[in-house]
Amino acid sequence: MIKLKNVYKNYGSLEVLKNVSLTVAQGEVVVVIGPSGSGKSTLLRTINGLETIEGGDVWINDFSVHASEENLHKARQLTGMVFQQFNLFNHKNVLDNVTIGPINVQKKSRLEAEEIAKALLVKVGLPEKEQVYPSKLSGGQQQRVAIARALAMHPEVMLFDEPTSALDPEMISEVLEVMKGLARDGMTMVVVTHEMGFAHEVADRVVFMDDGIILEEAPPEEFFSQPKHERTRMFLSRILNH
Amino acid sequence: MVEYGSSQEIRVYDWRLLAVQQLDFSVLIEYLPAIMNGLFMTIKISIMSIILGSIMGVGGALCRTSKSLLLRSIGNIYVEWIRNTPLLIQILFIYFGLGVFLNLSPMVASVLALSFFSGAYITEIIRAGIRSIHRGQREAALSIGMTEWQVMRLIILPQAIKRILPPLAGQFITLIKDSSLVSVIAVTDLTYVAKNIVTITFRAFEVWFAIAAFYFILSFGLSLAVRKLEERLAESD
Repeated sequence: MIKLKNVYKNYGSLEVLKNVSLTVAQGEVVVVIGPSGSGKSTLLRTINGLETIEGGDVWINDFSVHASEENLHKARQLTGMVFQQFNLFNHKNVLDNVTIGPINVQKKSRLEAEEIAKALLVKVGLPEKEQVYPSKLSGGQQQRVAIARALAMHPEVMLFDEPTSALDPEMISEVLEVMKGLARDGMTMVVVTHEMGFAHEVADRVVFMDDGIILEEAPPEEFFSQPKHERTRMFLSRILNH
Repeated sequence: MVEYGSSQEIRVYDWRLLAVQQLDFSVLIEYLPAIMNGLFMTIKISIMSIILGSIMGVGGALCRTSKSLLLRSIGNIYVEWIRNTPLLIQILFIYFGLGVFLNLSPMVASVLALSFFSGAYITEIIRAGIRSIHRGQREAALSIGMTEWQVMRLIILPQAIKRILPPLAGQFITLIKDSSLVSVIAVTDLTYVAKNIVTITFRAFEVWFAIAAFYFILSFGLSLAVRKLEERLAESD
């Protein structure tokens, strides 16, 4: 479904991704963890072309994302992205946030788009917030709307970029529950997160990144019980015993 | 002997009294039709220049925030050229200078000059507004498959407009006031009409006072209208 092959990415002289390769199968949930600055968010953002790449290739299904403007556009319609800072459109109410993509990108009728949006808002547990503006919502609610907005485009893959890192602790679980529901429904997901509980419970595979490379990847049982690398062990002990 | 000091005081008092008594605002009634024509001309030129200047400002801002070096350079040259030369010279240049090649009426020349002038400032106001929108908004819009143009039209500009509105209103008010300069190329606006009336009647105080009041009403009225608009747009904050 998604295939990154020998991807390189620099910011000036700083190498953020160094020869990274990763494959994600249909219906698979891959959780990417690692210290900050390890390149995990950048990795995620190369998949839908929010970051350009200097070398290698990113494939979604059978087309190369970075090959042309047209492919890039196609990739963005096949992938839904959820951001750390939610990034809801502040000038649109909740319903319009969710329908704006289907109406303007997929050229659906307003009626059809609203039908989809309303169903999704029920799914993320916010059916009563349709007419509310983002600034009146809690962080957890905003993030659930953001998930609905991405799902409204019927993506084949969902990309999550630290979706709970900007949330107050009591709101983290409401967002994780929605994500778990998606995983149960068989959505292909790539999740960058620090939520080890989520990784343990939901991931099919955990990928550990450090300093621009994928150091190791394994199913969660194996990954958390017998990490192979010293740096993985150090990271896990820091994050689990804090 | 008459006491010198006191007579002096009386004379000064007399002079003031005389001046006040001589003020005669009836001249305004007499020339009201001409003043109204001038007022409408000022309103007409201002509205046309505000519309054209805003279009040029949006175009200029899109140029200045564009990825293309050529467009950015064009935008920069436009803004710097206009901002660093006096408006009066721009008006004279467009009417008399370009007038050598093009047959521009005073009215067209003034609208062009005022539009170019305010467009440069509006460019900078809009550019700052676009810049102030968090890049996450753009990324989110791109991630659901919008084109750059859709992102600008549906996401960035509608949000920027709210932040732009107060400085933009200031620019429009400046434009209304600056439009008085076009009287130098014989556009029969409020200022030009006033100058003529003063020449005929010598009622400088009355006429200029009244003309100032008309400009005040136009400018202050506009700023009140914009304030109302701001309140309406504030609903999503």
